[in-house]
Amino acid sequence: MSQTLISSKFPADILKLENGLTVIHQQIPATPVVVVDVWVKAGAIAEPEEWCGMAHFLEHMIFKGTERLAPGVFDAVIENRGGVTNAATSHDYAHFFITTAVQYLEDTLPVLAELLLNAAIPDDEFLRERDVVLEEIRSCHDNPDFVGFQALTQSIYQHHPYGRPILGTEAQLMERSPEQMRCFHRAHYQPENITVVIVGGVAKETALELVNRSFQEFSPPTACPLSEADAEPPLTEIRRQELYLPRLEQARLLMGWIGPGVDQLRDAYGLDLLSILLAGGRSSRLVREFREEKGVVQDISSGFSLQRDSSLFTISACLEAQHLERVEALIRDRLYQLQTTPISEVELQRCQRLLCNDYAFSTEAPSQLAGLYGYYHTIAKAEVAVTYPEKIQEFQLSDIQQLAQQYLSPQYYAVTVLHPSWW
Amino acid sequence: MLQVNPTVTRSQPMSLVHRTVLDNGIVVLAIENPAADIIAGRIFLSAGSCWEPREKAGLSHLLSAVMTKGTEQLSSMEIAERVESVGASLGADASTDYFQVSLKTVSADFGEMLQLAGQLLRSPTFPETEVELERRLTLQDIRSQQEQPSAIAFDQLRQAMYAQHPYALSTLGTEATVSQLSRADLQQFHQTYFRPDNMVISLAGRITAADAVDLVEQVFGDWQPPTAPLPVLNLPSVISQPHPKVAPQETQQSMVMLGYLGSAVQEPDYAALKLLNTYLGNGLSSRLFVELREKRGLAYEVSAFYPTRLHTSQFVVYMGTAPENTAIAIEGLRSEVERLCNTELSIDELQASKNKLLGQYALGKQTNAQLAQAFGWYEILGLGIEFDTRFQESVNHVTSEAAQQTACRHFLKPYLSLVGPEKALNTAASVF
Repeated sequence: MSQTLISSKFPADILKLENGLTVIHQQIPATPVVVVDVWVKAGAIAEPEEWCGMAHFLEHMIFKGTERLAPGVFDAVIENRGGVTNAATSHDYAHFFITTAVQYLEDTLPVLAELLLNAAIPDDEFLRERDVVLEEIRSCHDNPDFVGFQALTQSIYQHHPYGRPILGTEAQLMERSPEQMRCFHRAHYQPENITVVIVGGVAKETALELVNRSFQEFSPPTACPLSEADAEPPLTEIRRQELYLPRLEQARLLMGWIGPGVDQLRDAYGLDLLSILLAGGRSSRLVREFREEKGVVQDISSGFSLQRDSSLFTISACLEAQHLERVEALIRDRLYQLQTTPISEVELQRCQRLLCNDYAFSTEAPSQLAGLYGYYHTIAKAEVAVTYPEKIQEFQLSDIQQLAQQYLSPQYYAVTVLHPSWW
Repeated sequence: MLQVNPTVTRSQPMSLVHRTVLDNGIVVLAIENPAADIIAGRIFLSAGSCWEPREKAGLSHLLSAVMTKGTEQLSSMEIAERVESVGASLGADASTDYFQVSLKTVSADFGEMLQLAGQLLRSPTFPETEVELERRLTLQDIRSQQEQPSAIAFDQLRQAMYAQHPYALSTLGTEATVSQLSRADLQQFHQTYFRPDNMVISLAGRITAADAVDLVEQVFGDWQPPTAPLPVLNLPSVISQPHPKVAPQETQQSMVMLGYLGSAVQEPDYAALKLLNTYLGNGLSSRLFVELREKRGLAYEVSAFYPTRLHTSQFVVYMGTAPENTAIAIEGLRSEVERLCNTELSIDELQASKNKLLGQYALGKQTNAQLAQAFGWYEILGLGIEFDTRFQESVNHVTSEAAQQTACRHFLKPYLSLVGPEKALNTAASVF
């Protein structure tokens, strides 16, 4: 029935069903809760360019029922038993999850499977739900941080689909039809693209039997326009965007660099370390200097976002417009310092400890574990997820310098500035 | 036919929450949860924004920002390095009903961090340069609120509903009040309200109850309360005077909020209002979601909230919608709320809402941080840890008739707060 591919250090079991679907299960005996988190390789990068927004719109439409199940029935089944359900779409994935009391797993998991496998995407629901997605787009565009981040990613990724808006645009969505969506659904929601993660107070046999029974009747895949993911060439300049937004009180400075994808996981983790070194906590370099000592930013942060093909490293600040130029220049200078001067052992250890503890704090609840395994398995392999703390501990001082040299150039980066515009 | 199962919800067994009161008045709660190598702590004081004089609104928040920036022994950076070098988190926040210090560590480091928290609480120095910095940043924060339409709408609503009551204002304060705050104000507030007989310490994680109490005793046991009694809080009553407020903004969406005054947590209608809030706005099967989003496509975000408050609370329904739908949105939200005055929930609807409310309540007590927070909060609100059980019982006892009567008492006429393009607000004016 299934084939176990297990690593002895990985706390969960990974199994592959005959039809190619992957199941990841971890029992946590003390909890009355179970999470089912279904990850599908049907994120925005699976869309052909003209179908921008399709993956996210489909995520909405999954909840609109099947031939057997009217819209709203699934929601009521989960919530009337005291559970919660939701979904999200990003570039590399779409995922759907339910959290429920253990005794209701049997009532709820099969219903989720029914929705995912047999989505009917009714015509009238498609039209109504498109209005909802348009409201979502409008709401996001009223948020300056969303607008800024979208502009930055568009600027950095000019070839790769990571630069496209996940929500799509109104113009493109108005061109789409239910039939196209059904095609996209049938093409991508197939067992080889799906990982079902179950974490909580339920035993392996019960979980496996339920998943195997429920995730059987996949529709035959249909041909569908394919996406083409062109690799993104490295930045060879400072790619600048200046936007003027009405209603903006504070300026924003967003700087971005392209980082390694999952095929260079060690480097990726190193950039995680660098983001903490730069702006993780009050004693980090940029927070200490810019917020605490010079008082030239309201807030400064740094992030590393691991993505399958190519990751994103950002430094963002919220500040008064008068300090924009100076702060950008100083950040360039601090990056140059990072490339040329070793950091201290104390600093390195602090960052390592912060990240390792953060990992522990982020893997406490079943939903956190399920999300971690599902995400990793979709873009790489789930077993790798738990190697994070030991890999972080392996970094040496010289690694930091080398990573800064390789990835965080003070001369080549993308920068998006949001200016308040007072009419 | 939808079958709804009656649910008996698992509450946190009372035996797992150990309650002790120290000689100096500190209430200590300890929840043993050895599952993960984590200990979370929450220290509560009855010193939130409710305790601020109106002209010093933002005082509690400013105190929370500066408190972690200097003690008699340590500078701001030394404090930060102590916390961050062990990969812990330690911070302070002001809410309306309480002030809190939060900490989280792996179990080996907790003792050290609690010691540090003790120093921050007992001997903060409020360095002048830090007061200046945090005041300036708070003023920027206050201005930044104007960037979010939902924040503008909620701020407008809150001021309309509460007038001179402290709940009217953001805990950040206003530009006018914050610019006047001084270091002396912080010292005085601290001296008045930061005392052991005004404090609850709640710990959850890989620590035994005995060790938890010992640790708290070590750090805080010798803190003597002042002889002067705690000042009595005299708050203005909140009088219902529903009226509309509009704020024209060049936004992509209109934000529509309807508010009704709601019961405080100890008042009899609290459980029924919580249930009605769940029925209307909680989740994908909720009434507002189904009627206004699923069936009519009017919104992405449509929901309700009714916060648990020490004093008069607010029952709010809201929606973000295309500007040309502003009037429809107001009508839609209003009719759904007022329908509850005329229509009893069916047996199925009532039970479904109970299951949803109580089921999700249980889901919100999983991590150590959630456990420490929930039980500490009940204590600081004067409800006691038994509130966990009482709450679930009172929800289960709500009848359809009682819910309808509660609706009739509260959902008569709404306050209205609108944010959106001027033209859309003018067109919708006929509706209110």
